[in-house]
Amino acid sequence: MIIVNSETLNTLDSYSKNKYKYGFVTDIDSEKPRKGLNEKIIKYISSKKNEPSWLLEWRLSSFRKWKKMKEPDWANLNFPKIDYQDIYYYSAPKGFKDKPKDLSEVDPKLIETYNKLGIPLEEQKVLAGVAVDVVFDSVSVATTYKGELEKLGIIFCSIGEAIQKHPNLIKKYLGSVIPPGDHSFSALNSAVFTDGSFVYIPKNVKCPMELSTYFRINSENTGQFERTLIIADKGSYVSYLEGCTAPKRDDNQLHAANVELIALEDAEIKYSTVQNWYPGDEEGKGGIYNFVTKRGLCAGKNSKISWTQVETGSAITWKYPSCILKGDNSIGEFYSVAITNNYQQADTGTKMTHIGKNTKSKIISKGISLGKSQNTYRGEVTFLRKSDKARNYTQCDSLLVGNQCGAHTVPYIDSKNNTAVIEHEASTSKINEDQLYYCRQRGLSHEEAVSLIVNGFCKQVLQELPMEFAVEAQKLVSISLEGSVG
Amino acid sequence: MNILDNYQKNKKNIFFTENKDVQNYREKLLTIFENDRFDRKNNESLKNINLKNFFDFKYKYLVPEEISVINNYQDDNYSIVSINGQCSNFKDDKIEITKILDEDYNDFSKNNIIEKNDHFVNLNSLFLNSGFKIVIKKNNNIKIKISNIVTDDALTIFQKNNYFCEEGSSVSLIEEYENKNNSTSNILNVIKLEKNSKFNHFLIQDNSPNHNLIITSHSSCKKASTYNQKVYNFSEGYVRNFHYSKLLETNSEADLQGIFFLKDNNTSNNKTFVKHLAGECKSNQVYKGILNDRAKATYFSNTHVDQVAQKTEGYQLSKGILLSDNASYFSKPELKIYADDVKCSHGSTIGPIDENAIFYLRSRGMSKIAATKMLISSFINEELSSIDDEQMFQTIQKKLVRYLSKVK
Repeated sequence: MIIVNSETLNTLDSYSKNKYKYGFVTDIDSEKPRKGLNEKIIKYISSKKNEPSWLLEWRLSSFRKWKKMKEPDWANLNFPKIDYQDIYYYSAPKGFKDKPKDLSEVDPKLIETYNKLGIPLEEQKVLAGVAVDVVFDSVSVATTYKGELEKLGIIFCSIGEAIQKHPNLIKKYLGSVIPPGDHSFSALNSAVFTDGSFVYIPKNVKCPMELSTYFRINSENTGQFERTLIIADKGSYVSYLEGCTAPKRDDNQLHAANVELIALEDAEIKYSTVQNWYPGDEEGKGGIYNFVTKRGLCAGKNSKISWTQVETGSAITWKYPSCILKGDNSIGEFYSVAITNNYQQADTGTKMTHIGKNTKSKIISKGISLGKSQNTYRGEVTFLRKSDKARNYTQCDSLLVGNQCGAHTVPYIDSKNNTAVIEHEASTSKINEDQLYYCRQRGLSHEEAVSLIVNGFCKQVLQELPMEFAVEAQKLVSISLEGSVG
Repeated sequence: MNILDNYQKNKKNIFFTENKDVQNYREKLLTIFENDRFDRKNNESLKNINLKNFFDFKYKYLVPEEISVINNYQDDNYSIVSINGQCSNFKDDKIEITKILDEDYNDFSKNNIIEKNDHFVNLNSLFLNSGFKIVIKKNNNIKIKISNIVTDDALTIFQKNNYFCEEGSSVSLIEEYENKNNSTSNILNVIKLEKNSKFNHFLIQDNSPNHNLIITSHSSCKKASTYNQKVYNFSEGYVRNFHYSKLLETNSEADLQGIFFLKDNNTSNNKTFVKHLAGECKSNQVYKGILNDRAKATYFSNTHVDQVAQKTEGYQLSKGILLSDNASYFSKPELKIYADDVKCSHGSTIGPIDENAIFYLRSRGMSKIAATKMLISSFINEELSSIDDEQMFQTIQKKLVRYLSKVK
């Protein structure tokens, strides 16, 4: 026992020294206006993106709402006050106007950045068959496999492009799931969002490939305000991947994305995220502030929305991918792994609102805290009066490694229907010494044993990820534990 | 009438208005009430309640004319009748009962407040007009029964009771609340357990529809002491049960349990909170509720494990059965854990009565109502069968039958 304990201490120590692997900066000149948030900058963004006047008006009214709002303060997070006037709200890679039509025309430095990350666009194109909409500092740079998707009538482009080409869809659905006045971050995003993805899957089309976007924050002090909108029309299916890595920075960067999903009758949307923003160094300096609003609306009957997330990065994570189960028989799912280390703080979970009859939801959340981090699961399940025979199952487990971290579980359960059934369970414990002993007895090193146990702990969630992501996610979990143990 | 007016007009009826510390503390409370927006959505103590009833009330208190008698029968059994929150002084070699003192008041306001935003506790501290203190002496094993009686209509009783269990003592306390008048009782119990002591606390609540009962308790346990609490709520009026427990030293235990039966328009708010401040302690929080008609209930449970509290075991369970379309139940089982070598869990279920079980019983010839009643009884059977006291068991059984007779 004593040997194991001292080893655990060593591993913790070495883990805390494990440097962020993707910490590098690509030197690309950014074209940007001044810092600060005011009506002028919103007008600037809007005119830069050549937006119609109704959208500018929408942005401005969101901004006015934001001015009256306070940040939500109920989360279990501690961070210095955000100075919204000290942030750039728009930056685009230089020469964006002559957008390359082919990957070979893309800035070689950009390609190099992705190569360092191990996600070469070219290779991915050939090997994985994934269409990639790369967001590099707020502006979409390259989109592949577009033609193939177009043949099926699928629209997959940046939201800026969609505003130009499909204004009716945008006008109908933008802000329909997350109203700008929902809370201060949604209002902020609605006012200054610059780019993001737009997906529309027509009726009865099953999207043949996983759609994917890789986000990267690259320019110092640039907040990213992504806006993603995915609409799955009747009987369609789409799986969307989102992955993030960010280079090392000392100043905190704000990220306040909004993601809206709409699933109409019989449609299914699967949204997977691997989030690995820069978490700050071992003293808790720097790191990304991640305030994301993600919400899906199961508007039609028999629709389904499934969220899967692997959260390992960010100094602060504030994220609650939610489902509004409006259509009868609709299904919402949430699978999450959150790993926090050093001074990271994560307050993440979900919100399932059952409105329709026979709606079902399932929540599986796994939290792992190391170092001096705080990891909170916060989830709400609501059965409204008409949600007859609705069903929810929630399981949230936490694992603590070291005695300076915290793991918290805060579920809110509200039932207003007497035929709805909810089951919730949660547990918190440390890594089982017996399991460790068993593995070590069979010749595994301490590190391998912990990695095996943690991977087993997360398996329920990791297996929900699509193939392309599962590999990356497993690697990420191992990297997160690498050096932390043994 | 608002809080400030009430306070200033009725000062003569309120305890400790002369004490400087108390005065200062009350000044603070008054400013809190003045500035608070009474945010019902985010303040747990205010959920589901009618603010006007509780914060815009008419203060009225009557000092009881007859002083209650304390009976001591069969050596270790004490029977106390508390009238409007007051009872007479008593002393023998096992217990000592006195009026509450200002030093107890100050001790509470300085050391024991866990939640600053609990307006009901603040009201209690502000308008305190009754209460007593019971000391159970070293190495004694006794039983106490307290009947809480309110003599008049429209009274507002603000009562603070202190219980102090000396080393090695053991006490079983049964408190009964059965009132038929439309008064409001706001009671705060402060319970202190010394080393190796044990406190079994039973609260039987059965008030008429217009009687409001607000009970808050703060217990703190020293080394190897145990605090067990069981709440049986059959009230037809509003009841609030907020119970806090602090485990201060090793090997102490807290067990907070409750069952409630609601019907008509009744509302009940419940909360249990256990704070583990030392290692090797155990806690258990179990609440079960049955809601009929348009009843509403909330249950907040919380286990807080401090960084030093290694080898903690903390469990929570909340179960709710909704019998009608219009009933609603809100539960929030929270875990806050800062130590790694712990075993903590919670479980929570809300739903209707199991249809398969009903089908099984009906296929054996039972009517639907009989089957429903049988399943409700079995749902809480565990809580009932654990009652040792035969007399108390009968009382509760009777109340249960009365509740079930209204189930359709």
